[in-house]
Amino acid sequence: MYNKGPIKIGVLFSETGVTSMIGRSQFQGTLLAVEEINEGGGIDGRELVPIIYDAQSSPVLYASLAEQLIIQDKVNVIFGCYMSSSRKAVLPIVEKWDKLLFYPTLYEGFEFSSNIIYTGAAPNQNSVQLAEFMTSNFGASVYLIGSDYIYPYESNRIMSDLVLQRSNSQRIGEQYVPLNACQKDFTPIMKDIRNKSPDFIFSTVVGDSTANLYRAYAESGFNSKTMPIASLTTSESEISQMGAEIAIGHITAATYFQSINSLINKKFINSLYKKYNKECIPNLYVEAAYFQMHMYANAYRQAGSDEIGKLLPSLLGSEFIAPQGRVRIDPTNHHTSHYPRIGIANSKGQFTIVREANRPVQPDPYLVTHSLGDWAAVLSTVEL
Amino acid sequence: MEKLNKTPSLIKDLRSLNVVVFHPDDNDRIKLVQQLQRIGCQVKVSWPTPSCLPQGIDIIFLAVQPDNCNMNYEWLNIDNRPPLIAVVTYENPTIMQTVLQIGALAILPSPIRSFGILLSLVVTRRVHGELESQRRRSDKLETKFLGVRQIAEAKNILMRNRNLNEKNAYDLIREHAMKKRITTEEVAIWIIEANETLSLGKVDPNIYNLKG
Repeated sequence: MYNKGPIKIGVLFSETGVTSMIGRSQFQGTLLAVEEINEGGGIDGRELVPIIYDAQSSPVLYASLAEQLIIQDKVNVIFGCYMSSSRKAVLPIVEKWDKLLFYPTLYEGFEFSSNIIYTGAAPNQNSVQLAEFMTSNFGASVYLIGSDYIYPYESNRIMSDLVLQRSNSQRIGEQYVPLNACQKDFTPIMKDIRNKSPDFIFSTVVGDSTANLYRAYAESGFNSKTMPIASLTTSESEISQMGAEIAIGHITAATYFQSINSLINKKFINSLYKKYNKECIPNLYVEAAYFQMHMYANAYRQAGSDEIGKLLPSLLGSEFIAPQGRVRIDPTNHHTSHYPRIGIANSKGQFTIVREANRPVQPDPYLVTHSLGDWAAVLSTVEL
Repeated sequence: MEKLNKTPSLIKDLRSLNVVVFHPDDNDRIKLVQQLQRIGCQVKVSWPTPSCLPQGIDIIFLAVQPDNCNMNYEWLNIDNRPPLIAVVTYENPTIMQTVLQIGALAILPSPIRSFGILLSLVVTRRVHGELESQRRRSDKLETKFLGVRQIAEAKNILMRNRNLNEKNAYDLIREHAMKKRITTEEVAIWIIEANETLSLGKVDPNIYNLKG
């Protein structure tokens, strides 16, 4: 008997709360892909119907809403989560009911669940490349600033280990601020930076406080040409929040930038602008949320079901031409191959891409000791 | 909040670890081996458990199940045995007794989940390392203690036979050690043995006193 009814999927991001800006990005990428799939005839003629809840940046709500999606709404697959705390809250739920979570966020690695597909970058797909670029262009004395939670702790550990592989290297400060830090929380840190004068600052500040860090930096009169802020999480969205003038010259390593010059990316951006009337800022979160939905739909078409046992064999090892390039789900660790890039923020609030991987970098989420000069970390210089 | 720390070597050297898994071929073994490979360890698998331990192993995972509770492999009792983690399906007294008998430093409960294996590995190696260094320390102290006793006995012999005071007796032992380029403990043993040889057949007057 062939089922012609709609296919329900769970969508669980945070449209409100401290991480709402990224949550909205992930939401927009998800819904654009759903719309494209449905316009193309759905999955084998069946409409894809997202059941959407707002987890309000609360891990407790993430857990209870995930369970509600599974029990009440009877979905087999959930697309969601941003901060690691939200993923850790949903993980036992999807394992208990043997359902699948697609997680479209870069994170600190060191996790594997057979019930999760990780479509954001692991540290070997952004930190290594950033450390290589920063230490060879600015020097190897680094000052680390992060939001006070697990992702910054681990990212900073990796960054320090990498930087300290250079000769004459130094980690001269490591400071943590609350997730909702305001500009004055950064004032004493800026003072410390003035005294210690590092070669560059590595920021793992996330959420709305990102703009406050860059503003505090600008007010201190520092020069981004000689002592820039390097980041893995400052995307086009955070730049639009702080303003292009504030961000100019600062550096981000990411697997996707709006400025990627390809037909597929142009089409992707046009579709986003059309759907959201320009109320959308394409960034790495939008892109990962977008391509993972298409990969799900393709695997469903092949498997004829989205029950985890049937879907996984089609999904693992599958490839998709995403706006960043051709990505692939690694069958051994459920993470995704990516194209790392280095971008310098320009006067238009965009990133000028100065380094780019010319082949995908395989995910290695359990790598403790990263090394500079690793073949996988080498990016080719982009002609400007 | 400020924090500055370094990644410890116990965490850094995970990728160079040679791990052996003695476990029947089932879902638990598949999950355990896959997770060890994700972590990046070099994994060998063997079942049934061999009577000889392969060379160069850093850590052992061993299945302890109701049908293999008789663990009398010789390698379980060798000195410097690599640390062992038991993979268990039951926690009744029979199994517990076996887990204690084989000297497991940690356990992994079945069904195996990928989460927790990495941490068990790191903590087990840390505990094993500490036990080893304490064992080496106590071996060293025992040897030292024995040496002190031997020197005291040798000094006594010299004081009795040569009518020396304690300081002169010790100086004599030390001079000899320096001349022969050996330790004072070795000289002490030599004096004790020589004294025993020379007193063969002699009757110790103390014996009568004790008996009286």
